[in-house]
Amino acid sequence: MTRAAVAGVAAIPVRRKLERSVRDTAAGVAFAAVADAGLDLGEIDGLFASPPALGGIPSFMWSCTLAHHLGLSTRTQTLVECGGLTAAVAFKLAVQEVRSGRLRAALVLATDVRADERADDFEFFIRNMTEQLVGLYGPHDALYGLAAPIPYYAMSAQRYLHEHGLSRADLAPVAVALRDFARDNPRAELRKPITEADVLAAAPICPPLGLLDCSAFASGAAAAVIVSDDLASRRPRVVVRGMGEAHEPAHFAPLRAPLSRFESPRRAAAEAYQEAGIAAHDVDVAEVYGVFTATELMLYESLGFFDEGRAPAAVRDGLTRGEGATVFDPSGGRLSLGHPAGATPLYSLVEIVEQLRGACGPRQVKDAKLGLFHAEHGMLNGSFVGVLEAA
Amino acid sequence: MKEIVDAATAGALGLFGGAATAEFQRRLAAKSLCSTRCTRCRAIAFPPREFCPDCHGREVEWVELPRRATLYAFTQQQRGLRFLAPEVVGLVEVEGVGHFLSRIDAPFESLSIGQTLEVGFAEAAPGVWVHSYRPV
Repeated sequence: MTRAAVAGVAAIPVRRKLERSVRDTAAGVAFAAVADAGLDLGEIDGLFASPPALGGIPSFMWSCTLAHHLGLSTRTQTLVECGGLTAAVAFKLAVQEVRSGRLRAALVLATDVRADERADDFEFFIRNMTEQLVGLYGPHDALYGLAAPIPYYAMSAQRYLHEHGLSRADLAPVAVALRDFARDNPRAELRKPITEADVLAAAPICPPLGLLDCSAFASGAAAAVIVSDDLASRRPRVVVRGMGEAHEPAHFAPLRAPLSRFESPRRAAAEAYQEAGIAAHDVDVAEVYGVFTATELMLYESLGFFDEGRAPAAVRDGLTRGEGATVFDPSGGRLSLGHPAGATPLYSLVEIVEQLRGACGPRQVKDAKLGLFHAEHGMLNGSFVGVLEAA
Repeated sequence: MKEIVDAATAGALGLFGGAATAEFQRRLAAKSLCSTRCTRCRAIAFPPREFCPDCHGREVEWVELPRRATLYAFTQQQRGLRFLAPEVVGLVEVEGVGHFLSRIDAPFESLSIGQTLEVGFAEAAPGVWVHSYRPV
């Protein structure tokens, strides 16, 4: 089997709105990632794209439109959609085709637009959103008036706190830790320092979650070039050591499984660790898909880094930001780097690749050799875990 | 705004709902909370299906669920789409079924995990019913 390497990456700063159209933005990161790989767009033989946005914007034949726009002649072209896992699945398919030897240089391209100007038309917005929400939550849950999926995550947070005898104050330190990292990341959307008191005093959204417990709606774009490792010219090479993916038969709230720990990250991590021949504590730097404070903490546990209910203490003790075996979310994570969901897994990949290259400046994790990135959909009912190594 | 939401809901239910959803709705309108039970493995699905999502058997029967539930988790939305804000929702645990989303007809501050609830019913849109639990 050919080894796959991530030869080039690019991402624009995460902001509420894109500065350019989604098409111009996508072309911009495509050129940047290919240049970062030391290649030319003409050498790309596979395109794995996300929809232009995960909700509200037509995506019919988007990969075809992109290939035409970019002038790409390829042997594989596909549009992938699996909620928050979208860009991770696109990455996985690209790696598999490179490993199989069928492709030499695959472009993974992901965007998301979560501030749609057309939503200013109130009637358009309400009609469009109502239909989308019935599709998103299904014909049963949708009737209870959920707008964003925050209530599900809030109830998961409530169960986590309840089952481990914790309080809302135990969630705040991780929000502060992530904001501290974001200060040193120019790509981050939220960089103004915050305190635990700020987190606890922030406007309530869905109890026990307040505004600073939640990731903000954001837009962004990122791209990665996956090559057979003989084509990777940069040193160190960043090679894909392991991948895992798992889905539970549930969407948002599971009927019977608990909400305080999650099977899909556990299963995906087990597969990825096994392929890579590593254990969780071997990982130097990890980017996880924690879109709420409590979710972030539960993920540290479900991915095997801490025992259940122990993550809040680990954060307080500095174990997640340099005092322990693994540094978590030096990008600022979903809470402070920002969360353009359709592209979020690629932002995590970009951070890990740049960390393994030693190119992260003041937020660089010392001697980072082994990195992990995780993505999820539907309140942790599906997960992807990728393990990368500087070689 | 309510008219727009109601019309969009009806259209979307036509697309994303189905026979089991329609039957569930018909029974809710008659003040009866029901779901489907597999005649092979006896698992009760929720929401109802025309098949069993546990053992994938193709034969199911409708059963009425217990009226009592316990509160598994709850929260409220400051801004909701359908009901008056703040809107309380929860996961209710029904014995022999599991925990599922419901409207909770009580102030957020009055609730606690584990308390006993009883099922009630509310009309979310013309002809579209939801279950709405209240403490007993």
